[in-house]
Parts: sequence; C-alpha cells; structure tokens
Amino acid sequence: MTSTPQVRKPRSGRPAAKGRVAQELAMIAPALILMSLFLILPFLLSFWTSMTNQPLVPRPTPVRFLGFGNYIRILSDDLFWTAMWNVTRFSFWILPVQCGLAFLTALLLHQKLPLQNLLRGLFFLPAITSMVVVCVIWGTLFQYPTGPFNQVLGWVSGGRLGPIDWLGDPEWAMFSLVMLSAWQAYGFQMVIYLAGLQGIPEELYDASRIDGASRWRRFWHVTMPGLRPTHVFVLLITTIQAFKLYTQVAILTQGGPSNSTETVVHYMVRSGFEEQKLGLASAVSVILFLIVLVIALTQRQLLRRFDV
Amino acid sequence: MSDMALSTPRPAPKRRSHGSKRTLRIVQVVCVLIIALVMISPLFMLLVASLKDDRFQILADMGSFKAFWVSDPTLNNFVEVGGMSGDLAFGRYLMNSLIILFVTVSSGLVINSMAGFVLAWGRVPGKVVILALVIALYVIPQESIIMPLLIMVSRAGMTDTFTAQILPWVASPLYIFLFYQFFAQLPKELYEAAEMDGASPFRIYRSIFMPLSLPAMATTSILMGIESWNQYLWPVLVTQTAYARPIAVAIGTFFGQDSIFWDRAMAASVLMMLPILAFYIVFQRWFVSSFIGTAVKG
Amino acid sequence: MEERKLMGKRLLATLALTTAGFAATAAMAEDTVVKVMHQGDPGWVEMYGKVAERFEAANPGVDIELVYAPHDAYNEKFSAAVMSKDLPDVFEMDAPFLANYVWSGYLAPIKPLIDPAVLEDMTASNIAQGTYPIDNELYGIGLTDSSVVLYGNRKYLEAIGARIPTSVDDAWTRAEFEDVLEKLSKVEGVKWPIDTFRGYGIKTEWITYAYEPILASFGCDLIDRTTWTSEGALDSQPCVDALTMMQDWAKKDWIVPMSAGTNQFFADGNPAALAWGGHWVYSQAAAAMGDNVVVLPLPKFGEKSASPNGTWIWGVSTASKHPDVAGKFISFLLQDADYRAYAVSQSAFPGLKSFAAQSPLYAEGGPMAIAFEQASKSAVARPPHPAYPTITSAFMQAFDVIINGGDAKTELTKAAQKIDEDIADNDGYPPFNGQ
Repeated sequence: MTSTPQVRKPRSGRPAAKGRVAQELAMIAPALILMSLFLILPFLLSFWTSMTNQPLVPRPTPVRFLGFGNYIRILSDDLFWTAMWNVTRFSFWILPVQCGLAFLTALLLHQKLPLQNLLRGLFFLPAITSMVVVCVIWGTLFQYPTGPFNQVLGWVSGGRLGPIDWLGDPEWAMFSLVMLSAWQAYGFQMVIYLAGLQGIPEELYDASRIDGASRWRRFWHVTMPGLRPTHVFVLLITTIQAFKLYTQVAILTQGGPSNSTETVVHYMVRSGFEEQKLGLASAVSVILFLIVLVIALTQRQLLRRFDV
Repeated sequence: MSDMALSTPRPAPKRRSHGSKRTLRIVQVVCVLIIALVMISPLFMLLVASLKDDRFQILADMGSFKAFWVSDPTLNNFVEVGGMSGDLAFGRYLMNSLIILFVTVSSGLVINSMAGFVLAWGRVPGKVVILALVIALYVIPQESIIMPLLIMVSRAGMTDTFTAQILPWVASPLYIFLFYQFFAQLPKELYEAAEMDGASPFRIYRSIFMPLSLPAMATTSILMGIESWNQYLWPVLVTQTAYARPIAVAIGTFFGQDSIFWDRAMAASVLMMLPILAFYIVFQRWFVSSFIGTAVKG
Repeated sequence: MEERKLMGKRLLATLALTTAGFAATAAMAEDTVVKVMHQGDPGWVEMYGKVAERFEAANPGVDIELVYAPHDAYNEKFSAAVMSKDLPDVFEMDAPFLANYVWSGYLAPIKPLIDPAVLEDMTASNIAQGTYPIDNELYGIGLTDSSVVLYGNRKYLEAIGARIPTSVDDAWTRAEFEDVLEKLSKVEGVKWPIDTFRGYGIKTEWITYAYEPILASFGCDLIDRTTWTSEGALDSQPCVDALTMMQDWAKKDWIVPMSAGTNQFFADGNPAALAWGGHWVYSQAAAAMGDNVVVLPLPKFGEKSASPNGTWIWGVSTASKHPDVAGKFISFLLQDADYRAYAVSQSAFPGLKSFAAQSPLYAEGGPMAIAFEQASKSAVARPPHPAYPTITSAFMQAFDVIINGGDAKTELTKAAQKIDEDIADNDGYPPFNGQ
C-alpha cells in the first residue's frame, strides 16, 4: 500500500485513450465478473437468505420471510453459544502452543547455521501437509487406550498418568484438536517470525551491544519490541483461523463428545446441510462474517498504533 | 536458548578458539536437526505405516518403536487404493485434485495478474474504488459465503462438476492485491517508455510486466496451489460421485465408517502427500519466501 | 536474475509434466444408464459391483452405475443429489427415512416395478418397513430386516452364575440386568461389563436405532405417534429415567467408551463381557469365540420388552427415466444367489421368506432364533414421520451429552423442542398434521 503509483489524469484528448481504456476494462473484467458472481453475489444473498426459511432442497412447504427470526433462534440456542465458547477456548489454547512453537523454532533457525535451508525445509514440512492427512496421522496417535501418546504418557509418568481418551473425553477433545492444529500450522507462523526477525535492523543490536547490554537484555529490549507488529499479526491470524475451525472437527470429532468440539462453522454446516435449514445456516454465516470483520478491524487498529 | 536466539552475523565479542567454535556449531546443528526430526516424526510414521498391510497391526505397532520400522514392506495398500475406478479409486481422486489445482492456479495467475496490472497502471475510471473494493472483499471468509454459493451452484446444475470446484476460487482479492502491489513498485519509466512506443496496455502487460512478475507468479502459484489442494468443506458440499471428488474428501470418508481401514487411509494419505512434497522439494526456497512476502506485506 | 531463470525453467517443467499427466479417461456409454446409490462396508460394496456386472451381462444395453455414499453422511449425500437434480434411479435408504423421502416426493411406489414373486416373498416386517403410513403403499423393499440382541460371554456369565434367559418372555428385568453388570464388572478379565457399540460414533443412526427400544421398554417414545409432538414424550419422566440409567452405567465405567473401538466383545482376551449388538455382530463374534457366545433377548426394563427393527432397503426414485429397469435390477439383486450367500455369511436377518429358509441361523433352534422371536414379539419401528431426520439427529445429540454426564432432563427437553420446532417450521408436515 505504501508505493501506490501516482494517479495520472486521463489524457482525454488523445484518440487512442478510449481504446486503451476499453482494453484495460477487458483485462480487468474477468476478475470483476468472477468476483461479483462468486463473492459479492453470494455475500449479498446470504443476508437475504438469512431472513427466510429457505430449505436446502425444495420441500412441499412454502419459503417464507422470517425477518430476524433465524438470528433470534441462533442467539437463543445454547449450542451456538457452546460453539462460540469452544472456538474462544480453542484460540486461547492454540495461541501459546502454536505461536510459542513458531516463535521458538524461528529463533532456533534465525542464525547462520550450516544446512540452514534443509533445516527450515524440515520444520516447514507439517505446514504443507493437508489437514485431512494430519487427521489420519493424529487419529492414530490419539488411539485409546494404547496409542503412542498414551504409551509415552505412561512411560514418562511411570504408569501414574493416563491413559487419556484424547478425542473421546469432553475434557480433552478440544485440547487434542489444539495440539494437532498447532502442529500443522506452526510452520507458517515460524516463517512469519523469521521474516520479522530479519526485519529488525542490525544497527539496533550493534547499538545495544556497545551499551554493554547482555544477550538477555538485547532479546527483551531489541528483539521483542521489533517483533511487536509480527506478534499482533500472528495473534490475529490465529484467532481468525480458530473461528473458522472446521475440517479437523468434521473428520475427527463431529462436534462431540458432548458438544465439546462444536465450532461456529461446524454449527453452520450442521444446520444447513444436515438439518437442511439453509436460511438458518446463512444467518450463522453472516454472524461469522461480522466476527471476522471485527477481528480484522482490530488488527488494523493495532497495527496502525504500532505504525508499520 | 537465548544464546542461540540472537542473530550474530558479525563475530561475537567473546573470543573463542577456532576449534571450539566449530564444535559448538556442529552441536547446534545436530540439536536443531534432532528437534526437526522429532517434529516431523509423525510424517515418517505415516510413510512407514502405509507399507504395512494389516490395519490392526498398524495400531498395535503405533505404541512402540515398531511405528518407525517395517520389517516386510509391501505396496499392497497402494495397489488397493491406487486404482482409477471402483470405490477406492484414489488414483482417480488424485488426478481430480491435480486437475482442479492446475486449472485453478493457471487461470488464477492470468486473471488476477491482469487485474492487478490494470489496478496498478491502468486508467480505468473508478480504479481507486475498485481497489478499495478488492481490499474490502478480502475480509469475507470463504466459510461465510458457502451456503448461498451452494444454492447458486445447485440451481445452475453445477454440483458434482469440476467447474463448481474451480470457478468460484479463481478470482481472489488477495492475489489481485498481491499482483497490484508487485506491479505498483516497478518503475514507472518502464510503463511510460512502452506507452510512448505505442504499445497497447495488453502488450505492455504481456511483453514487459508479466515476464518481470515471475516472483509474484511463484508466490501466487504456491499459495493458490496449497489452498486448492487443501479445500475440504466446499468439495464435501458439492461433490457427490467419484467423478470430480478430490482426494481430500475421499480420505475424509475413511472416517465415516464403523471401523477405520487405517492401512488404506495411510496409503491414500501418502498419495496425497507425494505431489505437494515433490513440488515442495523443487521449489522449497520460493515456498518459504512466498509466505514471508505475503506475511510482511499483508 | 539467475535464480529467476532457474525458477522459470522449473515452473515450466512442472507444468509440462502435469499436463502430460492428464490423459483423461472418458468412457462414454450410450446405454440405458441406471444409477444406483448405496452404502455399506467394503465387502457389501464389492458384492454390489459383482451383482451389477451380472445384471449387465443378463441385460445387454443396460449400464449400472454404482454411487457409494458412507452411511453416516448418507442423508446429506442424498440431499446433494436432490439439489443437483441428479437423483439416482435406485437408491438404498435406511427404513425410518422412507417417510421423509416419500413426503418430499423422491420415492415412487414400488409395487408395480418389482417381480410379483419377490413381493409375495416379503415378511410382514419387511412390508411394514417399506410402507408409507399415509397411503399404505409400498415404497421400499429389502432382502433383510434387522434386530439387536444381547450377546453374552458364556464363561463370564457362568462365573457369576447368571440366569440365562432363552426367550423374549423370560428376558432379564432391569434389576436382574444391572445386577449382572455389577457382578461382571468384578470378574477377572472383564474390563467393561458391556459394549453398547458407542464406537460407531456420535453421529450414527445406531444411537436411535439401538437405544430407542430402551425408551420403549421404559414406556416412552421419541415422539407421540398420534399427535406427532415430541414435548411430553421424549422429555417425559420414563425417558429421563432410561437415559439417566445409561448415564449411570457410563459413570461406573460399565460401558466400553467410544474411542475403544467396536471389537471389545470378541477381541483377544474378551475385554467386554456383554454386547448390545446388531445381528451383524454375530458372524464376527462366533468366528472369534465359537461356542462361548450366547445370544440373549434384550432386557425388559419396564412393563414390556422392546427391540428395534428396520434396515437399509431399496427404492426407486420419482426422477428415474427407466423405473422398469430399476425395478428389474432390485428384483434381480434380491434373488441373486451370491448376494444371498454373502448376506448369510454376514449373519443377515432375513426379510424374505425364501431367504429365511436359507438362513438356519435364525430358524427354530438356531443360535439367533431369539432375534427372530423378538421381531414378532417385541419389535418397535422407529417413528414413520417425515421429521425423522431431525428426530434422530436431535436424539443423537442429546444422547452424546447425557452419556458424557449432561443432565438428562435438560438435554431431552432441548431435543424435544428442537423436534417440535422443526415440525412447526414445516407446517406440521401435512398431511401428517391431520390435514
């Protein structure tokens, strides 16, 4: 956004200008048409549909306008609030786990080491692994009662702890999803942190070195402040992802046990696809949009404050 | 940890002998390597398990070091799931995913880069408004348009097609913006000189700007490719038969059964990993930098 | 610059390779195509493939296209087909969904399409599960029906000296049954007194299918079958008591937990002593345990015994362009010798009289005779109402919360409200509201 080219006034006198504009329009048209059709139109439609009792498939009963009926029903549904609480829980847990992991690995890799590219490549591997594949792998790791995690837990605690029913116990299921999600996604944030670390000017380190600051002090007074915008970015991206949590849930827990892993998107799909109440599901999607919008605006505000 | 944490491209103030410093380096590398291997050990387990034929044995082995070792490797699972027809036609699903990825990315590159170019250098009236719109649209998550999109697609009779899985995701505010940013930072003399020579906007794009935009193209291909490869919710909703079912959805169906055929699921997962892994190994350097690029600018 | 060139080259090479990989295989057939949508475990799926081939061989010019959908998401997959106006000609459905499909207009009356000899052959329960209550027409037909029995591990039962019931009439009472569970929990080698197959998952028809009889035996129901309202039925005290009882078993660790799989009854060492299992479990259990398996009737919790019925049956869609061929295929399938043989090997519960004759398992004196006796004496069908998809999903969800410790009254009330809300949303599903 920083280097917007100067907007030049169209030189209307030139005969070629009209042809040029037409050609430019033709070049931008495919993108505009596709976006209008598949982004703007469904977005606007979702507002309209959310006000009706539109079913997924045609039924012998008529489609009616409900006003805010669907919204009222959602907001008074305990399950929706359970889903909201769950995604909040999820983001609170995943923030330290995933961002911590990303930050630590970034610190490890941000030094001139031999085999640097190989090492970065290895750490990044989980990030290119599809969530479905991650679910297959972790589905076996979580096996109860004799899966690898439970075995390790047994050894480490000398048999005092566990076995834990990772995905089947309402107390643990969401935490288990946090672990596998963090493992899958930390690579992206590691890379973002690496970029952030590279962006801290070397002069700042030199200056503090001359001042005789210890490494620890340099970390707190140069590295951490330098990473502030990165932290904000990573935090908000992670929060938005938490609100969109779906694939892991759909594959491994289906919202259970005891609704402990129900999420907003899963709730939406459940109402729209399983219960076939598309109007209701559209209302959920509008609510989801508003949540994401608020988070994105918060991010913008915070970043502006840090003046990036 | 904090010792290693700081970037020290210049010689550290403390004096150490040459030898001990080298030893330290080696120890560091080995440590980091071990941590890396632990982190990716689940992937290694996946590969090993896919070579075991007995689904109960796979689970039994998981609890011990056998998870990392296969005494009599067999490709049976791959033979079982690798077919092009039948219900375990993962060969076909893989091909479907590749077709979807290929068409989405290649058309996305052309369409989004042209739009980015016009937004950066064109004289279309209302350009600023369009740019603002693109940025605003970026906020809309896929998940929140998916329900109405489902009605549209089904009304149009497009469910269970490749088109339904490709067309909605070709034009994307994020990539238009990425290209816009990239083109906007190129020197304006480049454009003006070409314009003086009487080149049309499309010619300028085609023969000057597009060839220069390889880095942006690479970033976009990688991001779009990963996104397309990992699509799950949308194809679950719009695919019905094996005709256009992508591999992610097919793997997901292993979990809908009374007992999970882990051996087949593992082999299918390895199949799904292979193309992206190959791609990743070839383009590793650009992979990482493309994420850095978007993150910093985003 | 070098790097850029290199990358360009690699990009090109990859693109070329991928393109070369797209040798698209487009098999075009001008035959009469009959689409058949079905579910089933891999063995069944393979069997359908073979039957389809045989049918094609016997009927030149017909192409059977099989579409598989996993049964947990079957209704959603079916809706997807409706949405894309791509209804299969023939489809398998779980019997309680039949009312919804007929009400929505997807199913055609099947009587004129099926071989009269096959129709003649249907058992009363098979006819019942395929009949739509509004017009009393037949819309679905199957080779099989189903039931759930209590499997017992003979050694464990003898160890505690339990009385072994031999008919529905002398089934265990609740007190007896809980006493057995209590005692079994202390037997050496028993990890869990009973497997109720929670391992099938939380979103599976199994929950409603297998546990509704417990409600029925307690004297309540998912929904009142005359007024079609759930409030006052599902949230009534007997239902609350029934689920609180199950919750109590779970709390005492008497039930195999969900994540422990579905083979604990017959796995090595027999960690589970009893199994509240479908008839299909018998073949696996008998193969692993031999004579050690004893088949018992479901316990009588209240005044009367109750057992489930209904299974996956076949119907012809209203959208079919070749209903006659579709009907012919179903008739062919139901009479196919290999299909029947496979069904026997899976301890299938007969729904055709001639098939019953081929199934000594269920005959008088056969090991599964009790299942057959239950079908005639205590079977309770799931509610034949178009709101069934909502009814079952609401109940599953309530069950999942309750079994994990949630309050039964609260959850059942929520479920009942959800069901009634759905019925109201659909104007009472006329003519089910009496109009």
